Amino acid sequence: MHTSPPTSAAKSKRPRLGVVKLASCDGCQLQLLSCEDELLPLAGAVEIVTFAEATSRRDDGGPLDVVLVEGSVSTNEQLAHLRSVRARAKTLVTIGACATAGGIQALRNGRDVKEMLRVVYARPEYVDTLADATPVAAHVRVDHELRGCPIAKGQLLELLTALLLGRRPELRDESVCVECKRAGNVCVMVASDTPCLGPITHGGCGALCPSFARGCYGCFGPKEQANTASVASLLRARGESGAEIARRFRSFTGEAEAFAREAKRALEHDRERVEPTPEEEP
Amino acid sequence: MSARFLPRESLPALVAALRDGRRLLGPRVRDGAITFGELEHVEDLPIGVGDEQSPGRYRLRARADERAFGYAVGPTSLKETLFPPRETLFRAERRADGKVGFVAVVPKPEATAVLGARACELAAIGVQDRVFVQGAASEPRYRARRDALQLVVAVQCTSPAATCFCGDAGTGPRVYGDAADLIATEIDAGLVLEARTEEGAQLLDRLPTRAVADDERVEAERDLDAATTKTHTGRLAIEGLPERLFAALDHARWDEVAARCLACGNCTSVCPTCFCSHAEEAGATAGALEGRSERERVWESCFSSEHGAMHGANPRATTKDRYRQWLTHKLGSWVAQLGTSGCVGCGRCTTWCPAGIDLVEEARALGDGQVSAVALPDAPPPCETPRDEDLVPRAAEVLAITAETSDVVTLHVRDHGVAAEPGQFLQLSLPTIGEAPISVSGVSRAEGFVDVELTIRGVGATTRALTALEAGMELGVRGPYGRGWPLAALEGAPVVIVAGGVGLAPLRGAIRALVEAPDRFPDVRLFVGARTPEDLLYPREMITWLERSHVKLTVTVDHASPGWRGHVGVVTRLLRRSAIPEGARALVCGPEIMMRFTSDALVAAGVTHDRQWLTMERHMKCAVGFCGRCQMGPHLVCRDGPVFRRDELALLGREGF
Ligand SMILES: Cc1cc2nc3c(=O)[nH]c(=O)nc-3n(C[C@H](O)[C@H](O)[C@H](O)COP(=O)(O)OP(=O)(O)OC[C@H]3O[C@@H](n4cnc5c(N)ncnc54)[C@H](O)[C@@H]3O)c2cc1C
Ligand code: SF4
Ligand code: SF4
Ligand code: SF4
Ligand code: SF4
Repeated sequence: MHTSPPTSAAKSKRPRLGVVKLASCDGCQLQLLSCEDELLPLAGAVEIVTFAEATSRRDDGGPLDVVLVEGSVSTNEQLAHLRSVRARAKTLVTIGACATAGGIQALRNGRDVKEMLRVVYARPEYVDTLADATPVAAHVRVDHELRGCPIAKGQLLELLTALLLGRRPELRDESVCVECKRAGNVCVMVASDTPCLGPITHGGCGALCPSFARGCYGCFGPKEQANTASVASLLRARGESGAEIARRFRSFTGEAEAFAREAKRALEHDRERVEPTPEEEP
Repeated sequence: MSARFLPRESLPALVAALRDGRRLLGPRVRDGAITFGELEHVEDLPIGVGDEQSPGRYRLRARADERAFGYAVGPTSLKETLFPPRETLFRAERRADGKVGFVAVVPKPEATAVLGARACELAAIGVQDRVFVQGAASEPRYRARRDALQLVVAVQCTSPAATCFCGDAGTGPRVYGDAADLIATEIDAGLVLEARTEEGAQLLDRLPTRAVADDERVEAERDLDAATTKTHTGRLAIEGLPERLFAALDHARWDEVAARCLACGNCTSVCPTCFCSHAEEAGATAGALEGRSERERVWESCFSSEHGAMHGANPRATTKDRYRQWLTHKLGSWVAQLGTSGCVGCGRCTTWCPAGIDLVEEARALGDGQVSAVALPDAPPPCETPRDEDLVPRAAEVLAITAETSDVVTLHVRDHGVAAEPGQFLQLSLPTIGEAPISVSGVSRAEGFVDVELTIRGVGATTRALTALEAGMELGVRGPYGRGWPLAALEGAPVVIVAGGVGLAPLRGAIRALVEAPDRFPDVRLFVGARTPEDLLYPREMITWLERSHVKLTVTVDHASPGWRGHVGVVTRLLRRSAIPEGARALVCGPEIMMRFTSDALVAAGVTHDRQWLTMERHMKCAVGFCGRCQMGPHLVCRDGPVFRRDELALLGREGF
């Protein structure tokens, strides 16, 4: 997708963009449409080949320069679709917590799927569901990730613009805290003891929740070097039970490895407290 | 100048006098903390508000009195004002015909007065001044904002928090010298004021003050003495701390603190002296697609993964490495880099650490041992200040391109700047794409211009875009920067040159100089390593070097291809004692790991560290000591390097540096 410097040749052959939806709520795709003013120049610069929400044009099945994939993989059909899209695309980008970390659907992981299907659907045998809702990266190579539930508009524009220009997208793997401090917020954790996952959460939202004096829910998922154990012990020190801590780590991106591991550990911690080992008894 | 007294009822007169034609900054309650903000009325001050601070905890509390300055410093400082979290450095444009242009963006800040600065804050400005206006260059945006700080009224702190240790740090609570125009000490009845500058005296004259009564003077001194005692915690001995910390690099405590540290960067963000920054191409999508961008500088933290990360390598990959970088920089290598400690004892990093990590406690535990055997260098004297224009890219034309290997090209560029010495580097810019430091691999001077060669390997977006340039197009260049090869120190001695891969590029200028001057450099031996024969740079030019009788060249490749009859294996294997002449001096360039092994092999062959020079590549954004990204222990690679004598690099190969 290298088009720099802007030459007439680059104009005539616009990069081909696809948007593909697996199991999700459309929220992230709609984010793309809500970039109103900014979307206009983008729309002129790319050829939209497949995009359920925006065009009635039929997918020509040809190669794609960029494909944005929304949603997690929940069915065999979705898996096959994903593989075919990967084979066509030069650059594959997952957008949102579902595609990146399994999202809300992944909360069913570890439970009995058949049982859940019976509860949810009248004729479960018609639903071809995989045992787990899994992130896209579990199946195919992912070139870029846009985190968040939903994704941040600014990050989506940044990514598409950077891909169009052939520069590196600024999707920095840094904490929400540094964004929070750049925004000039007073830390809610320190100044009012509000639990906040900002320190271990991947930035990109611009510290949205702390800017409204709420703690970060971690919807962008863990940043690199996410010291979840230290956060869990801070939460424990303020009197939270393992179940409460687990709930915090399992909200939006609970299947992201660092968060899933910590949630599990927190629950184990509870169990250990309930059944004290014999040595601990006086 | 003698002190005067301003009764509490007359505080509005002070605020009005400071606001006379100026913006006034001072303490305000915002979102549950006392922060710096704009003051319009006396009522904006935190009257009757105090605070409680401990590691990881901050609370406002009501005071029993009406004091307006009865608090310890909050989460913000004047850093946000002088060095804002995000700002534009220059606007860049690349037209459809490939021509480029760059325009510096320098703010015209409004005249500003400050009320209520603390001693530690003023000390912190002094520290940042060393980075931004007294270092390798002078930063025009910081300087403009600094110059706009016209009047500063400091209020000496009489309500230090439990986290404060300005006494230990030697910065407060009393304000020394002329760091502020007017110094105040607050007592219940009002402010005891003392002018420290001419401007302060003029301000004082305009205020409805009276003589200070004896009991007022006693009250002020008593409160200040109490604060002085409290902030001399005795927990941190600053003397010799840098050497003690650098002696403790393998202490088990680093692992313990890393288990608690969240690598969140709150400490570096609130610290009033931290200066690291990132730079990125910003601007609206519509403009970017037409080739226009803005280069923005953004606060960066050494706790973030990208801080030191280079293409394919991160010297500080773990939280332990990053905590050690923070603490050893703040309290240690800062002294070697900038001639002062990086810590003013304000306690912010401790209060605002969500994990409640206490900097003093860590420094005490880590720094209570032996003093390092390795002495840290002294801070270099301020460099000759480059002109502001030298910090903005200038357009340079690509004359021709030589394809060297499958992913390396040499750009031949016509520049109108200063000619680089061998080993120096330029910052190459492409609007909407980015900037990358690239060594100059050849220079020829002419009347009015310099023709520069730049050999670039396309490893990431910027370098790939640079290698895709075509003749007739332009790119931005700024520099030359850094310290080059010490050619004068080589004169008369046998010279050994060891290059690995693209590492030959930064050496080529030096090699050409040696090849051309057999009388000054009678014995030159080149050892060149490459991945494959196809990856060898400059093969045709190498043949011309071989034609010179004082030059010997040995080439080796990691993987031979059919027909290759030369050496196979790593370059260090060529450096046997018999191949290295007595008294040789060596220049080395290649990947860091290759340079480490080469250096050891050279020592084994009799070339001691004081006779080896290497050139370091580190992540850098600004190239003049502002961005803090290229630091390696006591060194800023852009300013002190990139060429170093080996014995200056005591930390080469040390985990985390
Ligand atoms: C003093 C010096 C001299 C250099 N000389 C040469 C040369 O002659 N030829 C050559 O091919 N390369 C040279 N390099 C390395 C070159 O600067 C990097 O390969 C380049 O910055 C990578 O940028 P990118 O955007 O292409 O790659 P990416 O890996 O996509 O860049 C990622 C980010 O890291 C930064 N970055 C990554 N690696 C480095 C690095 N080593 N130094 C600084 N910033 C980095 C980039 O600025 C960018 O923001 C030199 C580096 C330094 C410090
Ligand atoms: S409010 Fe949350 S995100 Fe902001 S600095 Fe505090 S812990 Fe970090
Ligand atoms: S290191 Fe901590 S105590 Fe020292 S100046 Fe920075 S924030 Fe203040
Ligand atoms: S490297 Fe030093 S100046 Fe930069 S953020 Fe870290 S401690 Fe602060
Ligand atoms: S020391 Fe504290 S504030 Fe600093 S990175 Fe670690 S947890 Fe965050």
